[in-house]
Amino acid sequence: MTNKEKYSAVFIDNFSVEESILNEKFVYQSVPDWDSVGHMGLIAGLEEAFDIMMEMDDIIDFSSYTEGIKILSKYDVVI
Amino acid sequence: MDTVKIDKMALRMRKNILDVSLSCKRSVHMGGGLSLVEILATLYGAVLKYDLHNPYWDERDRFILSKGHGVLGYFSALHQVGFIDKDTFFSFQTNGSDLIAHPVMNLPLGIESSNGSLGHGLSLGIGIAMASRKKKTGNKTYVLLGDGECNEGSVWEAIMAAAHYKLSDLVAIVDFNRFQSDGESKTVIDSGKFLEKWQSFGWEAEEVDGHDVKQLYEALTTKKTQDLPKVIIAHTVKGKGVSFMESNNDWHHNRLTQASYNNAMDELEAL
Amino acid sequence: MIEISEKLSRQWSRIGSRATFGQAILMAAESFPDLMVLSGDLGKSSGLDRFKNSYPDKFVNIGIAEQNMIGVAAGLAKEGYVVFATSFAPFITMRAAEQIRMNLGYMKLNVKAVSIGSGVSMTFLGNSHFGIEDAAVMRSIPNITVVSPADCAEIVKTVFAAAAHDGPMYIRLTGEVGNPIVYREDYDFQIGKAITLLKGDDLTIVANGTMVHEALETAKILKERGIDATVLNMHTLKPLDTDALDKAIANSNMIVSLEEHSIIGGLGSAIAEYTSKFSNSPPLLSLGLPDSFLDSGEYRYLLDKYGLVAEKIAEKIIELNNQIKEMK
Repeated sequence: MTNKEKYSAVFIDNFSVEESILNEKFVYQSVPDWDSVGHMGLIAGLEEAFDIMMEMDDIIDFSSYTEGIKILSKYDVVI
Repeated sequence: MDTVKIDKMALRMRKNILDVSLSCKRSVHMGGGLSLVEILATLYGAVLKYDLHNPYWDERDRFILSKGHGVLGYFSALHQVGFIDKDTFFSFQTNGSDLIAHPVMNLPLGIESSNGSLGHGLSLGIGIAMASRKKKTGNKTYVLLGDGECNEGSVWEAIMAAAHYKLSDLVAIVDFNRFQSDGESKTVIDSGKFLEKWQSFGWEAEEVDGHDVKQLYEALTTKKTQDLPKVIIAHTVKGKGVSFMESNNDWHHNRLTQASYNNAMDELEAL
Repeated sequence: MIEISEKLSRQWSRIGSRATFGQAILMAAESFPDLMVLSGDLGKSSGLDRFKNSYPDKFVNIGIAEQNMIGVAAGLAKEGYVVFATSFAPFITMRAAEQIRMNLGYMKLNVKAVSIGSGVSMTFLGNSHFGIEDAAVMRSIPNITVVSPADCAEIVKTVFAAAAHDGPMYIRLTGEVGNPIVYREDYDFQIGKAITLLKGDDLTIVANGTMVHEALETAKILKERGIDATVLNMHTLKPLDTDALDKAIANSNMIVSLEEHSIIGGLGSAIAEYTSKFSNSPPLLSLGLPDSFLDSGEYRYLLDKYGLVAEKIAEKIIELNNQIKEMK
């Protein structure tokens, strides 16, 4: 699996969405499952998938699918 | 009263709020701290009688932050006027600090009472005002409440008693920012004709723009009646001063990241 | 009913006690159609957003008015609903204590009062928000069952058990985001039945809430020092599982009570009230928060400051154990 596929899989798994909507428009609270609880689930899933521990600031700033890609690069995860 | 001077103090207070919120690296009650900046700037900058060198002065005016989670505005005002020094101010919300998310009574720091649980401050204010009257010290008592806080029945017990006992040296200010923890106050518990409610309970009542220091000053220093307590309903904006925080209830209690701090500070520096 | 698994346990631990409570009540609503939830303007803070959005007709936000909330909850319960009333510990158990006494205690109405974030998990919000004396107050009112779940998985078990239980309850939630895990697989949870998590011949540590995990960590340290501890999860503070205590009295040189609550009136006091009836009862070491208002700070900082971390608990146990040995 490529990093991009791994990344998208976490979103698909957590929010039960189709791959086609995973773009810059897919933001926090754009679907009911991406609320504060869903957000922690997403972070946990990404941490597990890429074996990283994210900092609090990054967890809060992680506001969209594309923003997340930028944030993960800080953890040497290239998507 | 020098309006420009107080407005400048309010701007410095907002910058202090952003700085300390970032440095403590924890969630803070941002929205409700920003909404009461002008109220506190006016009180501490122009209205309250106090002595920095004698925080126990019996004739000092008393200020009670009944809306306890408004500490960001409160501590920044106390810092600006000299009660709280820089090191203490920036110890806010660090392990073991005297300055936490709600006031802890500490007269040398200018903090008159411990708060945090809502609906307690007006009763305390009544007791203080009664004592002042008995001792004939001539000081005034100011109590700042939140609009959500007025959901609590204990507030209305106090409102009734203050009028009954004709406590004319008691002033209540309501930071009417229209929001509380779970959302717009109107949708949680609609307070209806709020000003009229206070009037019907026997108070002199006035409403002002809570961010206009001139209106605040005049309301705080004048009275129409001799023997009634007075309430000032200050219409404010939760999160006032930072565009993306204004009336955005995500900022009721939230953490300020570096990115948000930068954006907020840019707005304040542009003023 | 939900079966606990390693995966669910980790997810719940990740989101923390409050959000797990919200998830649990959301799941319970499917099995209990007459379930209702009330909040005192702390729905968001209590992890109840999803419940509110999924079941708007089962959720009532009563505003910042806890005394009214309990009365309203009682009225609904009287008419047949299964009601969970939620707020922070001091507000629900002390601001509304008399309403709880009259409606839940005296009239035995089927309301479960839930305190979100008891103990010192409110960190920098300070003493006005800490749950220091809440279990003591609730325990002293007749007819109220008092439960404090050990971890997020047990929170889920407790919510389901509470919904099925006919009678008033007080549920005390402790811990925060990243709550340490005690249960990784399914187990039998029954109100009033303590659970033996570890068996050891020397002494018994009785704990509830987040202190259960701390007790297990303490037992590991004691084992290295040659002391074998039994660890009992006494999730139900009232009614106390006296059968489990009888075993401790018979088999242990010492009983240690451990709680994130004042040493006055909580688990330690409850145990002492029982064991003091027996002349052969071993010494009781009661550990908890002191009889004073507390500092503010991060959660682990506070637990450490007040001695409620494994290393410090173990030291106190070893010290008393040595004294007991010397006396013999």
